[in-house]
Amino acid sequence: MASSAMELSLINPAAMRRHGLSAAGLPLARRSSAVRFRVSASAAATTAVPPKPSGSGPKKQGKKEIQETLLTPRFYTTDFDEMERLFNAEINKQLNQAEFDALLQEFKTDYNQTHFVRNPEFKAAADKMEGPLRQIFVEFLERSCTAEFSGFLLYKELGRRLKKTNPVVAEIFSLMSRDEARHAGFLNKGLSDFNLALDLGFLTKARKYTFFKPKFIFYATYLSEKIGYWRYITIFRHLKANPEYQVYPIFKYFENWCQDENRHGDFFSALLKAQPQFLNDWKAKLWSRFFCLSVYVTMYLNDCQRTTFYEGIGLNTKEFDMHVIIETNRTTARIFPAVLDVENPEFKRKLDRMVEINQKIIAVGESDDMPLVKNLKRIPLVAALVSEIIAAYLMPPIESGSVDFAEFEPQLVY
Amino acid sequence: MVAPATLSLRPCAAHAPPRAALPRARAWLAPAVHTSPPSVAASSPRPSFGVLRRAVAVDSGQQGSPEPPEQEKKPKTYHFLVANAKFMLDEEEHFQEQLAEKLRLYGERGMEQDFWLVVEPKFLDRFPNITKRLKRPAVALVSTDGNWITFMKLRLDRVLQDQFDAESVEEALASNPVELKFDKPEKWTAPYPKYEFGWWKPFLPPKSSNGTA
Repeated sequence: MASSAMELSLINPAAMRRHGLSAAGLPLARRSSAVRFRVSASAAATTAVPPKPSGSGPKKQGKKEIQETLLTPRFYTTDFDEMERLFNAEINKQLNQAEFDALLQEFKTDYNQTHFVRNPEFKAAADKMEGPLRQIFVEFLERSCTAEFSGFLLYKELGRRLKKTNPVVAEIFSLMSRDEARHAGFLNKGLSDFNLALDLGFLTKARKYTFFKPKFIFYATYLSEKIGYWRYITIFRHLKANPEYQVYPIFKYFENWCQDENRHGDFFSALLKAQPQFLNDWKAKLWSRFFCLSVYVTMYLNDCQRTTFYEGIGLNTKEFDMHVIIETNRTTARIFPAVLDVENPEFKRKLDRMVEINQKIIAVGESDDMPLVKNLKRIPLVAALVSEIIAAYLMPPIESGSVDFAEFEPQLVY
Repeated sequence: MVAPATLSLRPCAAHAPPRAALPRARAWLAPAVHTSPPSVAASSPRPSFGVLRRAVAVDSGQQGSPEPPEQEKKPKTYHFLVANAKFMLDEEEHFQEQLAEKLRLYGERGMEQDFWLVVEPKFLDRFPNITKRLKRPAVALVSTDGNWITFMKLRLDRVLQDQFDAESVEEALASNPVELKFDKPEKWTAPYPKYEFGWWKPFLPPKSSNGTA
């Protein structure tokens, strides 16, 4: 199980679903899955009605399959029966109902009810974009949209399945799926600015679903929500300070948008607290470090392949990523029992070596060699990458966790 | 088994003498100056907004039967989180975003503000078990919405939580004058500037709160 999970989440969007922005997956796992687009050729019509461009489904004027060389975030499924047991208050006495009630109120408040309203700036900005930047923006939008939509599907199902055993937790999941649907819809409308639309109905049926046990869903989803927050807020604040890089208005929405991500993360924090067995032993520490590492490494490698995007909005990709990693790690240290020492300069050195190796792996894939030769050439590179990853995993970790669980809490000074 | 020093990645946690169990103190603060005349509320089952606080007591039982003013006072419960000012105002930048988001929402929906930041709150005098574990100056997040404070505890984690009753909002939010100063971070690597010093001003209690210098 351990190794297969390792493989899974390394191949995978660290940020499992979320920030498509980041998360695609390691190139060593490049798959040739195809996402189907409906190209709505009616550019004129779209310009005429900028606010409501996506009737997405019905008007299909020629379907085009776009080969995806990049990995998009996967869709996830889990053991719903186990979820039901975990959140059955009669079985699990640890459930902190006050915390869930508080979260429910917070989600019901619906801070962003009226936030996601488009304006004519979107289409105008999209029309101005050309060349590689345009292409990479489309990629960014489709991956982000898939990621949000993936969250929608998982949360929606959890909301449905937990209704009987724990109505409060179930309702929170449903409200989170509301947020995700809103985000996905907004991104999909963004695609319409580029005369594209993601066929979400098709995706729902056609994509493979990756199975994660509930506890892995908790760790991974917590991290992906929190890292999503840090990515969005960092981009937002950077662009606020440097408006000359504001090339597409969607970034202006990030400040409010990412508060949703942050709250979603808080909910998973509460879910983990309600299951102390996922936080309080050596296995939990190993898993915590493992998930941190796979999320950070995946993001770093992905983003380093997409420097055009980050440079296009005025960011230094590696600096941006390190900032996001350090902040996410600090946040995560408030709940995970152990985190990585990402502020140790050696950690970044290891990441940079992984990037180099990864680039060689990509180069092999793009060469004209026969498949067998390619595979042979890959072997030592993949081995080198794996050993860097293991070395990073084995770096001395930092003990962490919520003060609610700390034995030394009485000695803490706040 | 976990070494205390490693818990916090931030510099704010340190050793301190062990404490006794935190009291769930529902400290009744000294009665504040009370202005509304008793007869107004007593004769009005649906009181106007201005006397709402007093009238609640009346509504809940003794309508029409005049009571001495002292017994009619209905204190409100204030929930709070507290930690040192550096943590609350300087390090936790997402905290600023959250408060701003909430204030925006209250404005949009025409809701009356029920949360405040209080620098060096006077009510801390009632909580010796908290103050002895607190670096000063301290800042409290205070709200009449206990649910929200529970949520904020989940978010901030490194804060102490409790509650108290007070007769008036002025009394609840009274603070001692203190000057805040934060050292500049040694190295600032974020690709954006820090939120400006003083971002918390919109969340401080209105100037009319007594005791605030």
